[in-house]
Amino acid sequence: MSKQVKTRTVEEINEKIRKGDAQVLTAEEMKKLVESSGVEVAFKEVDVVTTGTFGAMCSSGAVINLGHSDPPIKIDHAWMNDVEVCHPGAAVDLYIGATNMSVKHPFEYGGGHVIQDLVAGKEVELRANAYGTDCYPRTQLKTNITKDDLNQFQLLNFRNCYQRYNCAVNTSEETIYTYMSKLLPRMRNATFSGAGELNPLMNDPDYETIGMGTRIFLGGGQGYVIGEGTQHSPKNLNGTLMVKGDAKKMTPEFLQGAAFTKYGTSMYVGLGIPIPILNEGLAEKTAIRDSEIFTDVVDYSVPRRDRPKLSKVSYKELKSGSIVVNDKKIRVSSLSSIKMARKVSQTLKSWIEDGSFLLTQPVERLPTEGVFKPMRQTEEIPFVVSVMHSAITCTEDEKINAIAERMITKSVNHIVVIDTAGKLRGIVTSWDVTRAMAEGKKALADIETHNVVTAKPDEPLEVASKRMAQHNISALPVIDVEKKVLGILTSEDVSKLLGREKPW
Amino acid sequence: MVRLLLRFTEEQVPQPITSEIILEYKVPIAILVAHVNSKGGEILAEVPDEAQEKVVQAFRKRGVSVTIPKLIEVDSEKCFSCGSCVALCPVEAIKVERDSTVKFDKEKCLGSTCSICVDACPARAIKSVKQTNGDQSAHGKK
Repeated sequence: MSKQVKTRTVEEINEKIRKGDAQVLTAEEMKKLVESSGVEVAFKEVDVVTTGTFGAMCSSGAVINLGHSDPPIKIDHAWMNDVEVCHPGAAVDLYIGATNMSVKHPFEYGGGHVIQDLVAGKEVELRANAYGTDCYPRTQLKTNITKDDLNQFQLLNFRNCYQRYNCAVNTSEETIYTYMSKLLPRMRNATFSGAGELNPLMNDPDYETIGMGTRIFLGGGQGYVIGEGTQHSPKNLNGTLMVKGDAKKMTPEFLQGAAFTKYGTSMYVGLGIPIPILNEGLAEKTAIRDSEIFTDVVDYSVPRRDRPKLSKVSYKELKSGSIVVNDKKIRVSSLSSIKMARKVSQTLKSWIEDGSFLLTQPVERLPTEGVFKPMRQTEEIPFVVSVMHSAITCTEDEKINAIAERMITKSVNHIVVIDTAGKLRGIVTSWDVTRAMAEGKKALADIETHNVVTAKPDEPLEVASKRMAQHNISALPVIDVEKKVLGILTSEDVSKLLGREKPW
Repeated sequence: MVRLLLRFTEEQVPQPITSEIILEYKVPIAILVAHVNSKGGEILAEVPDEAQEKVVQAFRKRGVSVTIPKLIEVDSEKCFSCGSCVALCPVEAIKVERDSTVKFDKEKCLGSTCSICVDACPARAIKSVKQTNGDQSAHGKK
């Protein structure tokens, strides 16, 4: 084998782009080429591989500068189309956060939609107030603006482009609504996010070519990586990016407001990175397939930071439409759009081919060390296990009289019905007993509730107490995974604790 | 075709109402979904447009409650093919095509009797809409 030059530089590639000679493939095309012709040929033939992703990226937003009003105002609070926008700086600089919700249409319209409307050229209503100073005397403001009226309109996203993400399921008995969308009970569906083999960071997992100053496709326009994103966690393949770009030149197709029922609003962001194929190693890395990218199946019904991981699946399985968890076949949907991710990579390819997009060399590479730490908490929060007390129980063969007597002697309002193994069968309340007396019922079976709302010992107290309020009940038997009764949590336990401590 | 939601009471369940109507009026009635037990139940049925009025009247004459469920409509301008709805659909009316486009099949959809996908759409592209055909005649003669 002849020893040829095994590297090329970004400047050499740019020279080819200017001449219209650069060979550009999308990540999907590159994988096919490496598969059919091998890494060596792929390196020789290809200068740039374009990647793409299009997903809900909550930690996104835009900085805008309004210019000064007359008389001038130092904005204290402001709303755009009834979405509160914050003022992180001086008088007329505002930040539109994607997840802030409209006060009039919460959970339906939010900051992401305001950004999309502005990008689309629509007029947006701005309301603001201020306390008034000698230099900024104005205290009220109402006006309509479009992107053309703004001095700056910069997309500034502090965490985008997760390298990969969890697959979400729900093992509980009730439907839950999360940022991973609607999760049906008993694992009747699963959701996942991320473009897998098309994802920008997955195609350069050692961040050889990506860092501060990398020019990228952002929201249909050009933007830049400005550093690692928040929660960047490269050690476990969960890298993220912080990016910025001129939103005035972006398009609403690649920046779309989104609404997740009972979670809130967000924004879908189209982001693509060109990977210069500087060496054979990069040619090999950009050949990564969905079958080589794995993620955890996580149970989102557990309201804790460390949710149980039930299984590991590949993006190939995820994109096939169904996965198998604990021998159960589960249908799975994508939350991010593979179709749009592909469109991002194709658009970026066409920009490079027509010479309108040149590559940059990062001035500082993304960190490859470090993990995302959990929060330091100096105040303990209560969990069910620390507040529950032992339950007064009965079995199904007992008479109502005996149960009524036990309620009096133990002074409780709830008796938990168990079987001989100590497993939950039902619950009887003092109200049920009173009703039995009034209606002349004698058998426990006539008054016992079988469909019992329960709590788990490791749930935060706040979650259990919210469940009591939702179902309008005053106690929850606490059970383990085998339905064995561990104790009971009553509304009195909760209010006693609340009276003693600051609310959380 | 028009979809009808038929509700049967406990007393009506043992009677062969649906088959009587099929035989008497010689209309094909397709049963798309049925949740019926001895205590009563619901059937989602489909009938040809031209037979809709007489079929609705025939069921109502026999005391069966008939409503015309709304249809689900997808705004293709708003849909960006994420696929959030796909795994939720119980009748596989939403599918991902080879090019990753999310495709909605109105013919298979159960309409507002299901609606499981509506609140799962982050683009808010899925809506319940009234069936246009024959809507007035079925609702006007209650």
